[in-house]
Amino acid sequence: MFYKLAFKNVRKSFRDYTVYFLTLMFAVCIFYLFNSLGAQSAMINLSKSQARSIQSLSRLIGYISVFVAVILGFLAVYANNFLMKRRKKELGVYMVLGMKKRSISNIIITETFSIGIVSLAAGLAAGVFASQGLSAVTASLFKANLKPFRFVFSSDALLKTVVYFGIIFLVIMFFNTVSVSRLKIINLLGASRQNEKFRVSRTGFAAAAFIISVACLATAYTFIIQSNFDFTDKRFLGSIILGSIGTLLFFMSLSGFALKIAQSHKKFYLKNLNMFVIRQINSKVNTNFVSMSVICIMLLITIGTLSTGIGVSNALSSNLESSAPYDISLQKDATQGGGDIVGGIQKGKNGIMNFAGDYAQNSRYDTDITYGQLIPGFTQYGDSFLNSTVPAMSVSDYNSTAALLGRQKISLGENEFTLVCNIDSIIPSFEDFCKSGGTVSFAGKKLTAYAGTSESSMKLSLSNSGSSTNAGVLVVPDSLLKGLKPVYVVLNINYGHGVTDEEFTSMLSSAYPDDAEKPYDISYSKEEVRDDAATSTVFSSYVALYIGLVFLIAGAAVLALQQLSEAADNTVRYGLLRKLGADGKMVNRALLAQIAVYFLLPLALAAVHSAVGIYAVNKIITLAGHLNVLTNTLATAGIFVAVYGAYFAATYFGAKNMI
Amino acid sequence: MDTILKVEKLIKYYGGKGSVTKAVNGVSFEVPAGEFTGIMGASGSGKTTILNCISTIDTVTSGHIFIEGTDITRMKANELSKFRRTKLGFIFQDFNLLDTLTAYENIALALAILKKPAAVIDSRVKEVAGELAITDILQKYPYQMSGGQKQRVAAARAIASKPSIVLADEPTGALDSKSAAALLQSMDTLNSELKATIIMVTHDAFTASYCRRILFIKDGVIFDEIKREGQSRKDFFEQIIGVQTMLGGANSDVL
Repeated sequence: MFYKLAFKNVRKSFRDYTVYFLTLMFAVCIFYLFNSLGAQSAMINLSKSQARSIQSLSRLIGYISVFVAVILGFLAVYANNFLMKRRKKELGVYMVLGMKKRSISNIIITETFSIGIVSLAAGLAAGVFASQGLSAVTASLFKANLKPFRFVFSSDALLKTVVYFGIIFLVIMFFNTVSVSRLKIINLLGASRQNEKFRVSRTGFAAAAFIISVACLATAYTFIIQSNFDFTDKRFLGSIILGSIGTLLFFMSLSGFALKIAQSHKKFYLKNLNMFVIRQINSKVNTNFVSMSVICIMLLITIGTLSTGIGVSNALSSNLESSAPYDISLQKDATQGGGDIVGGIQKGKNGIMNFAGDYAQNSRYDTDITYGQLIPGFTQYGDSFLNSTVPAMSVSDYNSTAALLGRQKISLGENEFTLVCNIDSIIPSFEDFCKSGGTVSFAGKKLTAYAGTSESSMKLSLSNSGSSTNAGVLVVPDSLLKGLKPVYVVLNINYGHGVTDEEFTSMLSSAYPDDAEKPYDISYSKEEVRDDAATSTVFSSYVALYIGLVFLIAGAAVLALQQLSEAADNTVRYGLLRKLGADGKMVNRALLAQIAVYFLLPLALAAVHSAVGIYAVNKIITLAGHLNVLTNTLATAGIFVAVYGAYFAATYFGAKNMI
Repeated sequence: MDTILKVEKLIKYYGGKGSVTKAVNGVSFEVPAGEFTGIMGASGSGKTTILNCISTIDTVTSGHIFIEGTDITRMKANELSKFRRTKLGFIFQDFNLLDTLTAYENIALALAILKKPAAVIDSRVKEVAGELAITDILQKYPYQMSGGQKQRVAAARAIASKPSIVLADEPTGALDSKSAAALLQSMDTLNSELKATIIMVTHDAFTASYCRRILFIKDGVIFDEIKREGQSRKDFFEQIIGVQTMLGGANSDVL
């Protein structure tokens, strides 16, 4: 009997539950999708190192999942509380009819359980299908091929999802049982008639709080830009704290402040239903300013992770062609001696160099010239960069490296210097320095800039690396370096005809089973650089997507529930507007405006926050390459429109049906 | 005087297929301009249904209702809302003020829906507030007002747009006797001095005694009709009680 009642309730109130149900389903789907990443790799032809990175990615996702589950748990409990509030009257009727609290609990538990089962099943089904598509995305990120299609199903991910969400539902049942045991009939039956509590804030207070909030936010913005996103910088922490306080004060004071401004513009305020809509939003924001602030920060995290997460990897992988132009680079820190890698390998008589086609070695020497002396006007990377010293190399090393790349050689006069650098943002400063007749003194000699110095002569990668990291090396005549010991040596090799990366690297590793005997410290092949770039793309993109999506649906779902939960009040209010003669179009427009403003408020502030944040991050990332802001913004906007828009539409149509 | 409202053979049935409730079963009457008409009857007699049909909130099963010569039973949805906002003013039992708006804004809203310019709205709100003696509570929210004050704000909202008819549904139903008397006095003033046409539904004899004419409804038809015509309010009250006694049975709540 009670079970029948429970099931009937669920079916009857399905419309009220739609947002709750969809959110649970969506959450389950995402949870399964990301936790099944490991199993999905079965569909892709991955290299060993790629397979290893997928394994460590799934481990990372596993840790994040605990955090995600906690967030989703809070969301589910919050959403469930809203639904319970709406049903107080119904529960009161049960109690008046003499039903035991235990039985009422049982009804609620049965309901929670059945909703849980259905959303879990639906979410898993969606997740399993979506995961087939995700493997194709993974494959393309790794630039790997897909194996012939077969249906991938991860029982581990399934089990994990069921366990985590099972715990969440148990927590909800516990909360519901507690809240049922505390019910009092009188409160329940009168629940619909209880007046909303109003906080009438004084105008002066609202205005003061608003000004303080703007000041807090402005300071936080300045701090975050100044701190260069350095987590150890005190200003970084300060900016987080000030930003949070500012956000909270902003939402606390905004509605009161905005209301006063609107009221003083009588023509606007007294037009159509404007005053009604503004008052509706005002009362809603006034009561929910804490959750709005939290949502704003969650949206900020979403925008931040999505736009920079996908972005960082783009920046890193976009210029691989120029930052890793050689088949392999062997590098050695020569401060402890051993400044000749080629000689070291040849001495081993293992014939490895026979498999190398062309090769060129370059050595770098210490100088006491700082970047600040050359380009004092370049402040983008701060003082620590300007105070560091510029290494030097010989012109013959420059020429052999240029030859390896098929580039033009240069001939330097006895009193001339030039520069090499592969970071695009610095090159123009060096160019200005050389063109304006800059001089340096090295080894007791005053050197003038080589007349042929140009952007194309300067831009040269001296070794393979995942990103452009050569911030500038001084090129000087060989004679000036005679007798000096190199501090850093690089041997760049292009393989001989028909030699593959795998063959060459395995030769190296079998020739030097012991690290101590290697004539070099590290090797970095083009293949490895590519794999690393792909791995970092996959890591940052997936982690960003996972966290971003979870925060996005959590924020949007809370906003939607807050609007829908007061449908009962709204039914009365909008019904009254109709009786007063407002036509359908007018009423619908008012409802749309109310919901749209409510959804856009936290998003707008979050967008401003993240614009500043992305600006600050961007400054750092340009060190490594260009962050393609446009693509990432578009991708982020696309995801937002899809998810946030779906919640907005569901809320509007749900509310429209109710009034 | 001109006839402002004409109800012709109004019939309203609820339900269908075997269980038909005849809420209103052939009611006809006329209301001239400037009259204060009461409709009395027990719970379930059909009085509120009549009011709902006149106010276009409900549709009729058959019959016609003419307001200023226009048949409102033939109107379409859009015309109806336009008609409601220009010709009708409402006073409800439970005030139906918007709790998020101040008294001033509640009254102004009715005019804003009519798309009146802001300056007109402002002066009109102050004018009606003066007429109903609520000027000093204009900046208060409904939860800061007494029941009587709320109902006077509702009355101000109803007459602000200068409607052809003010419809009041048990306006004293949620008020204590003192507030009720004050409200009724205000409505009397509206009627006698501002010439507002008022139709009020009530089951309370004291409330009804402020009317000029009373229609008694029983089981969906007009049972009796009495007019005050120069009687003192006390005599009229006695007369109402007399008719109610004749109505019998269901009116035990007044006896």
